[in-house]
Amino acid sequence: MPEPDPRSPGSFSPDRLDGGPAGRLLSLEREASLQARLLARDERALVELVEIATPWLLGVAQGMLSDRDEAEEVVQEAFTIAWRRVDLFDRESGRLIPWLLRITRNRAIDRLRGQRRRVLKARRLESFQVFGDGSTAPQEPDEAARPGWHVHETVHAALRQLPDEQRTVVHLAYFEGLTHSEIAGQLGIPLGTVKTRLRLAFDKLRGGLASIRDWVL
Amino acid sequence: MTSHEWFIEHRTAFVIRTLEPDEERSFREHLAGCAECRAEVERSERELAWLPMGVAPVTPRPGLTRSLVDGALGARRRSPGWLVPVSLAASLLLAVGSWFWAWSTVRGFEDSVSVERERLGRELAMTRDTLGIIRQAGMVRHADITMGEHKGGLIIFADTETHRWNVMVYGLPAPLPGQVCQFWFITDSGMVKSVPVQTQMGAPAFVTLGMPSAPGKVMGAALTMESEGSSNPAPQGPQLVHLML
Repeated sequence: MPEPDPRSPGSFSPDRLDGGPAGRLLSLEREASLQARLLARDERALVELVEIATPWLLGVAQGMLSDRDEAEEVVQEAFTIAWRRVDLFDRESGRLIPWLLRITRNRAIDRLRGQRRRVLKARRLESFQVFGDGSTAPQEPDEAARPGWHVHETVHAALRQLPDEQRTVVHLAYFEGLTHSEIAGQLGIPLGTVKTRLRLAFDKLRGGLASIRDWVL
Repeated sequence: MTSHEWFIEHRTAFVIRTLEPDEERSFREHLAGCAECRAEVERSERELAWLPMGVAPVTPRPGLTRSLVDGALGARRRSPGWLVPVSLAASLLLAVGSWFWAWSTVRGFEDSVSVERERLGRELAMTRDTLGIIRQAGMVRHADITMGEHKGGLIIFADTETHRWNVMVYGLPAPLPGQVCQFWFITDSGMVKSVPVQTQMGAPAFVTLGMPSAPGKVMGAALTMESEGSSNPAPQGPQLVHLML
């Protein structure tokens, strides 16, 4: 059993005590409260946000950059933006956690598209394998109780519904941060085929993700 | 000039950022003047908002969470822009030499103060966090523990706001060599192994825990004395205490 950090963010869910669904932690009211407290510069709100979101933001950044230190830098940038510019976040047009996810992903892509990273990435992709078996089985103790695990499972279910060739281009495009031409080069298929597969895949994904569009962690 | 049909066709590609850099720039310029595309891009962003959660979460290394908070908070205290030229000027003074001693002394003092301030800030944030769990505990449970001549106890603070347990074990000696004091969750489907607790006389042990991933309703907790390094998922050693919620 891995040694847990006694100060690491936990994922205690009161629902577990109530017998309700695990992992639903950030209610609409709590998210609104969190945002209001961030606006009021409440540092405890920042601590809460960091504890809830960090594992997912790290997952996004590390998956794209393949470098833990650089991923941590990207996540740091995302939280710094969240803390400094939360007043610019429009609650009506999005949600707090997706906003952070988008910032993180965009920052990771910006780094990825630097020349050095592009070369390293290309080398790493030589041993690329798509998603393994698509399993969402928890890899660590308490992971299934982590806030957001139910969202993770739903996203994976939507991805699993895609045909292999579409799931491959989605993985390379969305989770590895490659452009159309880079995907075409990687897979040795025409650019138009890449675009078609992505269009078909995202049409399906929209349907698969519709049920969680307004979910909260 | 790129037709509007091209932009319609590539809206999703723009949202997921698979366009080439020059195409992306062109799309941004187009968005500035096209309300229809802006609305569609925003809609698409909302539809795909949770897609990044397809990644496997990564457990932060120890200390990272605190470091991220400090980093975000520190950004507002970042040195002002004038500090760089002032430092350059100070470097020139160094070259001259006459002010070297005074400058380096002051600078050294500032550095040490800054390091100490950062350290205290981290400690304060951690203390606040721990106290926050205790203050906001929606449920507190206590049980006495007798271990030979030692009388101690187990206290569980369950914070329903931040959704964690703060577990305190006090009054117990350090385990004998080769043994660990093991914390367990009691669920309606059995005992679930959690973390070792570093007990020692004179200093209560604190751990912050999430709930176990194993299915089953959490009904309580227990402490046992186990062999160090044991991978057995069920308790084998003597039970020190059990506590039902």
